[in-house]
Amino acid sequence: MRERVSILDGNTFLVCDRRGNIEPSYDFPTGLFSFDTRFLSTWVLTLNGQLLHALSIDDAESYRTRFFMVPGEPTHYLDAKVSVIRTRSIGGSLDEELRVLNHEGREVEFTVRLDIGSDFADLFEIKHGRQKKGRVTPAAGENELRLVYRRDRFHRESVITSSMPCQVDEAGMTFSIRIGPHSEWVTNLHVATVIYGARGEDARATLPLGGHRSVDAIRTEEEDLIRRAPTLGCDCQPLAGAYQRSLKDLAALRYESITLGVRLLAAGLPWFMTLFGRDSLLTSLQALPFLPDLVPPTILMLAGLQGSRLDDFRDEEPGKILHELRYGETAGFEEQPHSPYYGSADSTPLFVILLDEYERWTGDARLVRQLEAPARAALAWLDTYGDLLGTGYVWYQTRNPETGLQNQCWKDSWDSISYADGRLPGFPRATCETQGYAYDAKLRGARLARTFWNDPAYADRLEREAAELKERFNRDFWLPDREYYALALDPDGRPVDALASNMGHLLWSGIVDESRARPVVEHLLGPRLFSGWGVRTLASDEGRYNPIGYHVGTVWPFDNSIIAWGLWRYGFREEAGRICEAMLSASQFFHGRLPEAFAGYDRDLTDYPVQYPTACSPQAWSAGTPLLLLRVMLGLEPEGEHLIIDPAVPPGMGRVELLDIRGRWGQVDALGRSRGPHNGSRGH
Amino acid sequence: MTEVTEDFFASLPDRAPAVLRSPVSGTIRIDLSTGARTDHWRVELAPGQVRVSRSPEPADAIWYSSVDLFERLVTGRTQGIAAVLRNESTFSGNLTLFLIFRHFFPDPPGTRDPREVAREQAGRSR
Repeated sequence: MRERVSILDGNTFLVCDRRGNIEPSYDFPTGLFSFDTRFLSTWVLTLNGQLLHALSIDDAESYRTRFFMVPGEPTHYLDAKVSVIRTRSIGGSLDEELRVLNHEGREVEFTVRLDIGSDFADLFEIKHGRQKKGRVTPAAGENELRLVYRRDRFHRESVITSSMPCQVDEAGMTFSIRIGPHSEWVTNLHVATVIYGARGEDARATLPLGGHRSVDAIRTEEEDLIRRAPTLGCDCQPLAGAYQRSLKDLAALRYESITLGVRLLAAGLPWFMTLFGRDSLLTSLQALPFLPDLVPPTILMLAGLQGSRLDDFRDEEPGKILHELRYGETAGFEEQPHSPYYGSADSTPLFVILLDEYERWTGDARLVRQLEAPARAALAWLDTYGDLLGTGYVWYQTRNPETGLQNQCWKDSWDSISYADGRLPGFPRATCETQGYAYDAKLRGARLARTFWNDPAYADRLEREAAELKERFNRDFWLPDREYYALALDPDGRPVDALASNMGHLLWSGIVDESRARPVVEHLLGPRLFSGWGVRTLASDEGRYNPIGYHVGTVWPFDNSIIAWGLWRYGFREEAGRICEAMLSASQFFHGRLPEAFAGYDRDLTDYPVQYPTACSPQAWSAGTPLLLLRVMLGLEPEGEHLIIDPAVPPGMGRVELLDIRGRWGQVDALGRSRGPHNGSRGH
Repeated sequence: MTEVTEDFFASLPDRAPAVLRSPVSGTIRIDLSTGARTDHWRVELAPGQVRVSRSPEPADAIWYSSVDLFERLVTGRTQGIAAVLRNESTFSGNLTLFLIFRHFFPDPPGTRDPREVAREQAGRSR
């Protein structure tokens, strides 16, 4: 696979090759995308008919890239008499400055050519290799090329303009130029992505925030967001680097929802640049102590789009929180169910958990009162439509076998839930961590009911139900001979017995009986699950284990951050520290940006974490991971109007201090220090 | 104006207590067009209640739809957000009201309770 360069602003992003070019690709999302539509699929620059290659690429900012280029292939003897600088930035639209420098002492003629095209593919058409149903019509104008896509009333346009004169044809722009001795020539190209609404105007133009932002506006907003986050001081450079990278990536992944006009968090580049229920809820939980302002728009949007009817195509039920919202053609024409799609069994309890956690940090009682009805509907879903079989657990089974998801837990690939021998269970399935979330949601819902909704009887009922669920769960999911919790129950109520990372989440939820915490922890940090770089999704001796299998052997940073949170909750600080240390060591190999997942090979085998082949990066909940790990190491826990600080910094990490942590207490500082002095040789 | 649409608006006041549970108030106007003619339905939403009138007066949110599309929506045969995404329908103003109003739309025809279906299947598999 050719190496790729990406820039993004919210859900507008560009993926190109190392030359800065986009060549048509039908199976991978290269190109310029906005709101799930590809607006450019061809963007190839040549100079006198020759491709260029990059001497260096500056991509320090997520929204801007600069390519320093010369003609020819990198293997050629380099004596360039001309060079080219492509500087591009993204902010709803794409801007590219093209600068040609003549290094000769005489005037030279050049032909600069840009091949331009768009297939207006929907992201799902790329994923599934489908053909377009509408028509693309190019229109060449004066220094402007307009690419128009129409299907019924669905109407998208890419409008490419040049500041310098050029010959425009239906497939690109040609510049015939003369540059004086040691002089340069510059043109500014602008690519507008236009989404037409029913009355012939850009749908985003009528929204309160507007879809297009200048680079200055992006920078100011990003800096403002980061300035409001606590300041980290520490000896450990990987931690400092990962913290800054995470804040920047989370700022860059915020996008403006086309349907609500608020800033939401996209899940991951390039496949998941949209709102996901589970991803945005878990990322919000990770980032809450640092970026609490991210939470209200997310939670309000999820409440606004809560399921209200039974709809088999969308796996929708009243009270259910959405899985995925898309804005493209296939969602609009109901060829894909993402308008929104509700195939997620865990986003509903996570919604209640986030609402409670948010109030505990911020004291924002107004939001809790405002969202009483959606929160009650979510809690009611757990015991009604969530409990498909009426056995007291949350189950899932898609009613849309064509385009729905088979697995509706965070491990949502088809083969993620298996018995130890590799067989796949039937449906419906009840995965263990979802029951933990349901337990936690009931307890937190009880607190909200008692404190804010003036309904102590409902609170009592929820607490009673939680206690019964915990007892039932510890009876039905525990495998006494193996001393761990089953991954799931199959439709006959029998345990699905693979050893997997899911039970780490149970510690976070608090559903684990105290007496069983120790064996669970020993499994999580034992050689079958712990690779040295983190806890694998599936134990290395299970039938379906594959160190580069998406959910069957890779290590997911976000998964590990939740597990570390759980270990802390049950008092296993040293073990939580081992996970923090492993993740931060791994982050160095990715320049502070933890990817979606990396391979599950033993640390001794590879010496560095091998990136999963098609991992998304940046990925919101991977960016949230260093933040949650910081919380775990410093032991930050709201208690009434105070913030408890109980640090346990892993050995050799030295000093960790977090200044100006905002919350209902105002601002406080947290200081921690490892027992031994800082020791860089440990890889952190 | 079709009978189904008239019946839909007539049913709203009785259904409001069950559907409108959030502390949100405001007015949404639904402009239904067919050929050159546009009918205006104005719905005042408040917790637990609605008031429906036929009036072109301004509102906090306006939803534009063809008569035909609206009939498909009120019979559960298509879905409102998808209609907006494919540009068959559009809206302006306060989106929260649109999101709340969609709660009045019924299930697609013939939809069964998924619990019944799952329990029947599980019964067979045993």
